[in-house]
Amino acid sequence: MPRQTRRTFLGGLAAAGGAVTLGSVGSLAQTDVADMSITRLSADKIEGVDLAAIADELTRKSIASLGGMQRFVKKGDEVWLKPNIGWNRAPELAANTNPDVVATLVGLCLEAGAKRVRVGDNPCHSARQTYRRSGIAKAVEAAGGEVVYLDEKRFKEYKLNGDRLDAWPLYKEIVDSDVLINVPVLKHHGLSKVSMAMKNLMGVISGQRSAWHQDLDLCLCDITNFLKPHLNVLDAVRALTANGPQGGNPSDVITPCVVAAGVDIVALDAFGAELMGHDPTTIKSVARGHAAGLGEIDYRKLTLKEMSI
Amino acid sequence: MTPLQKRARLLIWLRRIVQVFSLSLFVYLLLNAANEEAGTGSSFFFDIDPLVQISTILAAHKVTGMWLLALGTTLLTLLLGRVFCGWICPLGVVHNAVSWLRQRKAAFRLRAGAWSGWQRAKYCLLIGLLLLTLLGANWIGVFDPATMLTRSLSVGVLPGLYYFVDASSAAIYNSDPHIGPLHLTGISEPIYHLFRDRIFLGRQPVHPGGALILLVFIVAVALNLYRPRFWCRYVCPTGALLGLFARRPALRLTSINGDCNNCGLCTRVCPAAAEPERQDEHLAGECFGCWNCVEVCKKGSLDFRFAAPFSRGVSAVDIGKRRTIGSLLGGLGGLALFRISPRAQGLDHNPELIRPPGSLAEPDFLSRCVQCGLCMQACPTAVLQPTFDEAGLEGLWTPMLRPRPGYCEYECKRCSEVCPTGAIEDLLLEAKKQVKIGLASFDTTRCLPYAYGRECIVCEEHCPVPDKAIYFEEVEVPLRDGSTRLLKQPKVDPDLCIGCSICEAKCPFTDLAGIRVTSAGETRHPRNQPILPEASTDEWGY
Repeated sequence: MPRQTRRTFLGGLAAAGGAVTLGSVGSLAQTDVADMSITRLSADKIEGVDLAAIADELTRKSIASLGGMQRFVKKGDEVWLKPNIGWNRAPELAANTNPDVVATLVGLCLEAGAKRVRVGDNPCHSARQTYRRSGIAKAVEAAGGEVVYLDEKRFKEYKLNGDRLDAWPLYKEIVDSDVLINVPVLKHHGLSKVSMAMKNLMGVISGQRSAWHQDLDLCLCDITNFLKPHLNVLDAVRALTANGPQGGNPSDVITPCVVAAGVDIVALDAFGAELMGHDPTTIKSVARGHAAGLGEIDYRKLTLKEMSI
Repeated sequence: MTPLQKRARLLIWLRRIVQVFSLSLFVYLLLNAANEEAGTGSSFFFDIDPLVQISTILAAHKVTGMWLLALGTTLLTLLLGRVFCGWICPLGVVHNAVSWLRQRKAAFRLRAGAWSGWQRAKYCLLIGLLLLTLLGANWIGVFDPATMLTRSLSVGVLPGLYYFVDASSAAIYNSDPHIGPLHLTGISEPIYHLFRDRIFLGRQPVHPGGALILLVFIVAVALNLYRPRFWCRYVCPTGALLGLFARRPALRLTSINGDCNNCGLCTRVCPAAAEPERQDEHLAGECFGCWNCVEVCKKGSLDFRFAAPFSRGVSAVDIGKRRTIGSLLGGLGGLALFRISPRAQGLDHNPELIRPPGSLAEPDFLSRCVQCGLCMQACPTAVLQPTFDEAGLEGLWTPMLRPRPGYCEYECKRCSEVCPTGAIEDLLLEAKKQVKIGLASFDTTRCLPYAYGRECIVCEEHCPVPDKAIYFEEVEVPLRDGSTRLLKQPKVDPDLCIGCSICEAKCPFTDLAGIRVTSAGETRHPRNQPILPEASTDEWGY
C-alpha cells in the first residue's frame, strides 16, 4: 500500500465532495474542511477548570474542526500515536503530553475504525517509570490503546536522504504503521527555545541521537520530511515555560488550555511558538522547515478554524 | 519397603516441594525488587537469615530490621537441627539440584559421603568473619547464601538469561522468517514480551562487574560435582552458625533397633557428611535433616526422633582451640588487609566511588552493606554496579554508580526501599532529591561547545534538577576560518548539582564523556567537600 501523505488525504476528501459537514463554519475561510484548528478555552473560564475534562473536550473539538478522525484514520488502519513521553515527570509538570489528550485521541482513532492504536515513545528517562508517572500508560490502556515500549534492537536503519542526515535508525513499527499521529506538548527547551511537533519526532529515532543537537534544526527537518506525520496535535492544555524540556517546578507551568491540530507541522509549530511568546521566524526549526517546503510558517494563510469554548 | 521408609519417602517429597517453593519465592521476591509498585518484601530471606541479622547488629552496633524473624530461624534450628539448610535455604536448593546431576558410583558416593576435617573450615570462616564484623568490617555478605544467591542472580544469571531471550528474539524479529502466512515472530515476540514486561519488568540488566560474580557462582555450584553440597559442607558461614545452634537439637537421628549391619548406604546418601552410620552419635550439627538416610536404610534402623533438647548423646565437630585462635588471628589479618589503604582510613576519596543516594557515611555503609546486590536488581537504569576494588577489598561487590548506560533516576529511590540492612537509608523522595551523591565537572578538552566549536548542551537538557544545575552562557567562539559562532557553553552550579550522572550518561561522547561526575561534595561525607556553598546574601548585601 502506498504511503498516505497529506496530499492523498486531501485528494480523497476532495473526491468525497465535501461530504463532511461541520457544525460551525464561522471562521472558515474558503472550504468547509480546515487544515488547521485551534481550540481554546475562553480565558475567563480557565481558573479552577477541570483540566482532564477540558483536555478531552478541546481535543475532540480540534479534531472535529479538521473533519473528524475518519479523515485520517480509515477502517482497519494501524495507528501509531506518538506523544511526548520523554521524562519521568507527573502530568502537572507539563514535561510530557497530557494523558487525557492522548486517551481521547486513542478513543477517536478506535471510533474511526482503527484496527489497532499503539502508543509509544523513546524516552530519555527509564521507560517503565516514565510511561507510568506521565499517566499515559494508564490512560491509554483505559482508552483501549496498546502501550508499546520501544526496543533498542528493533530499530532499523532507514535512508533519510536528507540535507543533513543520510541514514538513521528509526523504529520500524512506527514507520510501518498506516497512520502516524504526532502529539507533542508545548514546552520550553534550552537549545531550541521551544519544543513542539518537529522536536517530538526525536522520540522515533535511536542511535546517537544526542549528536542531533549539533545541528538540531536541519536534523529535525530531515526526520520530519521522512516521517511526514499524517496528523499533528499540539497539546497546550498545560505548557512548560522554563527549565524545559523536563521542568520540575510547578511554578514554571502555565495552563493556556489550548489544543491545536493540523496536517501542516510547520504551521502548527509556528502557532506554538507564538503561544510561547516567540516570533516564529526566530525559531530555527520552524524557519528552516518553512524554507525546506515542509510547511507554512504563516499559519494564518491556511484554512484555519479557531474556536473558543 | 518398611513403613519407616515409606514415611521417609513421603517426607523427602514434602521437603522437595518446600525447597522448590522456597527457591520460587526467592526468585519472585528478587524480581519484585525491580517493581517500584511492589512493597518492600524483597528482603524476606535476609530477615530470616540469622547471620545477616547478627552481623548487622554487631557491625552497626544497633538492633535493626527483622531480627525477630531470624530469631525464629534460630529457635527452629535449636529444635529441629539444620532444617533451614536442608529444606529452606534457596542456595541450598540450587546446590542440591546440581549435586543430583552427577551419576554416582557406589565407591564415589561412599568417599563423598564420608566426614572430612575440612568441614571445620566453615566454622573457622565464621569465627574470622564474626570477629571482623565486630570490628566493623562486614564481609559476611561475600559468603552468606542469601546474599550470594541474590547477587549472583541479579547481576549474573538473570542478565545472562535476559541477553539470550533478547538477542534471540531480536534476531528472529529482524530476519522475520515465515512459512506462508505463519511468522515465527508470532511465537517469539509473545515470549519475549512476557520476559521483558512481566519477568524483567522493562529494565535491561547489563552489568560490567557481573562476570566475576557469575564466575564465582558457577565455580561454587560446579563444586557440587566434586562433593555434594560442597559449599554447604565446607564454606557456608551461615550453615556453620546454624551448626552451632544444632549441636544438640531436639529432633535427632536415632537408632531404633540393633539391626544395623554397617552396609554404608546411609553414608552414601548423606549430603552433609554428618556420619549417619554412627547413628545416635552422628554429627547433629552437620545434619540437614533431609531424611535420605532413613529412607535408604533397608533394616529400618534409623529414624528422626525427638529427644530432650540439649540432651547429650550426639557428636559434635570439634573446632579446637588452636583453630579458633587461628581463625581469630585470620580475622585480624583480614582487618589489616582491609584497612591499610589511605582510602579505608578516610584520608582520601575515590572519585569513582559514587554511592546510591541515602547511603550512610562510608565506614557505616561498609559495616551495614552485605553485598547482596538487591539494590542493583531494583535499579531501573542499571546504574548500580558491584565494585571490584573501587571501595577497597573491604567494599568488594558493594554498590556504586557507573554512569552509562545508567544514571540515577531523579524520581526514584527504589534501591533504598529494598536495601535489607539499611546501608542505604530509605529517605522520603523529596529528601532523596536533595541528597548529593557527587558533583559533575566539564572536561573542556572534550565538551563540544568548548573544544570543538559545536552546539550541544544535551547535559543541560537532561539535568533533572528543577532549577537546572547545568546552565549555559552564550559565547562567541572563534572558528578555524576566522569566523565566529555563537555557542551555548554549559556550566555546573555546585550548589544545585546532586551528582545523578544523567549528564555523563547522555553525553554524545560514549567512550569518555565530556562531563563526568565524581564523588566530590557527596552529602554523606563531611571530608569530601571541596566547595563551600555560596553564602546567601542578607539585606545588607553581605
